[in-house]
Amino acid sequence: MRQWSEAMLAIMRRDAILFVSYRTQVVSQFLGPLFTIAVFYYISRLLTAKTFHSPGGYFGFVIVGLVIIQILTLSLGLMPGSVRQELISGTIERFLVSAHGPVNGILGTMLFPLCNALLAGVVTLAFANLIFGLPLAATSLLAIPVALLGVVAFMPFALFLVALVMAFKQIASASQFIVSGIAIVGGLYFPVTLLPGWIRWMSDVQPFTPATDLLRHLLVGAALVHPAGIELLKLVGFSLVLLPAGLALLAAAIRYGQRSGTIAEY
Amino acid sequence: MSSTPSSLSHPLAPELPPSGAGEPILELERLYHRWKGPKPPVLDDVSLTLRAGEVTWIGGRNGVGKTTLLRLAAGILLPQRGSVRMGELTPLARGGRYQRQIGFLSAGDRGLQARMRVRQQLDYWARLAYVPRAGRAALVAESMRQFELEEFAERRVDRMSMGQRQRVRLAMAFLHGPRVLLLDEPRNSLDDDGYRLLNAQIEQAAAHGATVLWCSPRGEDRVIACDASYTLQDGRLEPGA
Repeated sequence: MRQWSEAMLAIMRRDAILFVSYRTQVVSQFLGPLFTIAVFYYISRLLTAKTFHSPGGYFGFVIVGLVIIQILTLSLGLMPGSVRQELISGTIERFLVSAHGPVNGILGTMLFPLCNALLAGVVTLAFANLIFGLPLAATSLLAIPVALLGVVAFMPFALFLVALVMAFKQIASASQFIVSGIAIVGGLYFPVTLLPGWIRWMSDVQPFTPATDLLRHLLVGAALVHPAGIELLKLVGFSLVLLPAGLALLAAAIRYGQRSGTIAEY
Repeated sequence: MSSTPSSLSHPLAPELPPSGAGEPILELERLYHRWKGPKPPVLDDVSLTLRAGEVTWIGGRNGVGKTTLLRLAAGILLPQRGSVRMGELTPLARGGRYQRQIGFLSAGDRGLQARMRVRQQLDYWARLAYVPRAGRAALVAESMRQFELEEFAERRVDRMSMGQRQRVRLAMAFLHGPRVLLLDEPRNSLDDDGYRLLNAQIEQAAAHGATVLWCSPRGEDRVIACDASYTLQDGRLEPGA
């Protein structure tokens, strides 16, 4: 177990070294959201919709959505691309011939993007609070464990996408499509009550909606549709069902590639 | 090389008992592999036993299946038919117990983290190979010494020459003291000094009871002394160079 965790940390450290070695990438990742926040801050000034009691209500609502989009983009959206890069550069071969193994290795490659995404989310909230005056609720610190649970619940989606990369090599457009779809049915930019009835059911069958609702409640004091306990149970349930399924799918995709020989292709 | 009586004292792989010289370590039995498309199998009923303390060379034309055979032996590919075994272990053994015994060098210059420094690269690999923390730093230092990489320890890999990178890749293959060394065109880009270092490490590994499989195209100068040599042709492995 100790060697397993040391190997996981080694992969995370590797990815951190690679990330900071591109300095402009670090700067743009943390400063980029500032402009997005500014755009939505001024859009929120225009809103007179009854759904929100004030322009500030929408600003708080959408900021949490933006943070989640940011986490999804940096983890779910970029993961397939980074695993594909490992295929191209041949570094995935290191996982295949190591005691750590390919499934653990790929799982390890998710750690830095997820931590980086959480950090970027915190920076975005800090900008919104310090520069644009977004009031954060007293329960904000409780958002940290909920965000971590949310990340665990999101992880299987990244595993599904990576399994597709291992099998089909190139799925960049699919991951963007999925992130955009989640933004709509997860209520990241607008309340899911605005969706037409025929698609609204999709907001109940994935973990993004309960995670978003809980985080909005804890960070900006938004009212919950369902009790917090139910939302938490949903997140735990999705994690328990989807995570083993994601790992099994990834293992099967790797096994298929090893048997057919396509594991060495890119 | 096989005449050196030796047994492998392996700090990392307690799963297998030490092997005496000449004892089978890795057994490839009746391997069959066919790539997609209307082509004949690249490997057809190929069997090979690699023994402790021995160096085996396999040659053959480009594209004849040498790399496929090495990848099967390393567990990167799984056999469509036949088996790959190291005692009781197979590439599908849980916990990477099979892979702990394997040192693999792929052909070409891939598999390095371009923007990592040499010491970071080797330390990273040592952790993936489950080298215990106690001896890890010493092993990394030793592998840099073995391939004369000390002066490049803090240099980023993408700022090194091809030959220097090949030394890093070789250092990774040898670092964790594997019982089976699978080397695909290891001489690639090496100068005379690099080749001398490689031969010295191969001799040392064999003297300690490891087995070495070296694959290269038929046209490449084969200077290394080996105990057995084969030619791969039309999916079959024939004795002799």
